[in-house]
Amino acid sequence: MMSNVWLAALGRHAAAVIIGALVGALYGRPLAGIFIAILGLLIWHLFNLFQLERWMETGNLSEMPAGNGVWARVFARAKYLDQRSSANRKKFRRLVKELRASTKAFPDGGILLNENREIVTYNKAARQLLQLKRKRDRGQRIDNFIRHPAFVAYLDESERGVQEALEIPAPIGGKWLSCRLMPYGPGQSLLFITDITHAKKLEAMRTDFVANASHELRSPLTVITGYLDAMGHDEECPEVWAAPISDMREQAQRMSRLVSDLLQLSQLESASPTPLDKTVDIAAMLTSSKKEILAHSQHTGDVELALSSNARLLGEEAEIQSVVSNLLSNAVRYSPDEGRIRISWDVDDSGGHLSVADAGIGISAEDIPRLTERFYRTDAGRARQQGGTGLGLAIVKYALKRHDADLEVISELGQGSRFICHFSPERISSQS
Amino acid sequence: MESEQFGQHISRRFNDELENLRSEVLRMGGLVEQHLDSAIEAITAGDSEMGLQVARHDHLVNQMEVAIDEECNRILATRGPAAADLRLIVAVIKTITDLERIGDEAQRLGYLTSSLAAQEKPQGHYSELRALAEHVQTMLHDSLDAFSRLDSRDALQVVEEDKLVDEQYDMITRQCISLMMEDSRTIKRFMDVSWAARSLERIGDHAQNIAEYVIYMVHGRDIRHLEVEDIRQKMDMDRAS
Repeated sequence: MMSNVWLAALGRHAAAVIIGALVGALYGRPLAGIFIAILGLLIWHLFNLFQLERWMETGNLSEMPAGNGVWARVFARAKYLDQRSSANRKKFRRLVKELRASTKAFPDGGILLNENREIVTYNKAARQLLQLKRKRDRGQRIDNFIRHPAFVAYLDESERGVQEALEIPAPIGGKWLSCRLMPYGPGQSLLFITDITHAKKLEAMRTDFVANASHELRSPLTVITGYLDAMGHDEECPEVWAAPISDMREQAQRMSRLVSDLLQLSQLESASPTPLDKTVDIAAMLTSSKKEILAHSQHTGDVELALSSNARLLGEEAEIQSVVSNLLSNAVRYSPDEGRIRISWDVDDSGGHLSVADAGIGISAEDIPRLTERFYRTDAGRARQQGGTGLGLAIVKYALKRHDADLEVISELGQGSRFICHFSPERISSQS
Repeated sequence: MESEQFGQHISRRFNDELENLRSEVLRMGGLVEQHLDSAIEAITAGDSEMGLQVARHDHLVNQMEVAIDEECNRILATRGPAAADLRLIVAVIKTITDLERIGDEAQRLGYLTSSLAAQEKPQGHYSELRALAEHVQTMLHDSLDAFSRLDSRDALQVVEEDKLVDEQYDMITRQCISLMMEDSRTIKRFMDVSWAARSLERIGDHAQNIAEYVIYMVHGRDIRHLEVEDIRQKMDMDRAS
């Protein structure tokens, strides 16, 4: 639908042409008159177009030509659009500024990476933590600055999916950083960096404390058990004391087991990863462990041993031994004396799997994730009666962690439980 | 986005190859840095197991050196690089040699750890050695950063640092000698300490070499065996022209 302005413009153009024709007719040349009128109109339009173009180039609002007729309307529209877009621009600029200010205030470092791992942009905290240089380091690959092999491996692996955070020492300055890569959008990812120096220090202090405390507890305990042993064997000791002394001996032994478990745990926690140049003969270890249970516990049930491989494991023999004996003593402790225990060791493409299954009381689903916590007990009274320290599975967890292995627990109440240690293929020795 | 210097080839693949080569060198640098860090940690904490582990892992560094060397040869043979690209390749070949030597020194430190850990620790727990080690570590870190940024100013700073490392090394040697003269029973221990200091000082020299290759790569000038002042003048001249 044509607006009034356009109807008026059409009318005015027609009028100009008619007037031109009439004036031309006065001189006997109506066509020339029409031609001159159209030429005039064309010049007027061109002039206005010229003004519009020049204004667009300078963009100066105050120099906006007023125009007339239909051009007045065109200019007014242009002016309106320009004002609206500059208001938008202002709003956008303010938004960007606010966003920048807020990422700057963020205490954790954030770095945007593109698909080639090149730095797109980063915030102030990231710059300080990694000692990047303003602007100049954009476009550099992130692994050119964080060169720690673990971080490079982490980047390689994270291409396959989101991972847990990684803890590495900062490139310089003795700090510890926790890094986490989060992919988003096509090929882009966000690297979060947190300073965890303080947390690391506290953790080290805690481990040191536990190690020192258990070490200090050891010598008094030795003295106590020594005297209790002597008193227990002393025939001159009054009969009434026999029961209390035997109780005390039992408790003292429990305590020294606790202390040695605590010591072992703190050693496992603080030690560096186990070497890859020692091998453990799992088959032989399981065979002798089986004999040991049959000989030294009151277990009368069947102990089945399934060795489908004689592959050796790369790691520390003593630690794997403690994993096996902890898992086996749990199996004996939590199943009826005549219950069946199945031990197996097999190796496939996904690595080695050591499994201990029992037909015991089982574990409820909500307890399973908490099993490896220190002193966590599903049924406090019972476990203590059975002589456990509450640290066995924690030791298993840390010993496995040092061998890059995971612990899987499959269990249901009343259905028995199965503990499987999954070792990665790199930990399986090629020559058996 | 590549760093401008190597981003101007018509062949996009060639750009990628050069960028990857640089990244590989820095990856090797990262491994060497980590070995050095563990070796220093082991020696100051007296953790012989950790020290031996560093020594055992040295072959990883050697493997990387061989792989990067082969890649350089391949690029030289197939691409026939010129000017800045050629300088990059030459600098890479030299840099990995120095990195490999640093790896060897870290290995030596690792072996020394087990010998030192068996002996009594002196008071102060090798604090002078630790200070020297930290200095050298910073130098290595800065020279690799300069390599990744192609920053000749930072590289020059590393070159200057080496003088301080030499002074620190002299001080430790003198200290060791006077302690050995005081008590001849400590000779074995302080011989080991001065060997460790010697290794660290060598690492400082290698880091200095890497920094010099960075300057060579950026400016095309060989600045080995020149005084720092002369180098600075030449670099300023290059920038002005």
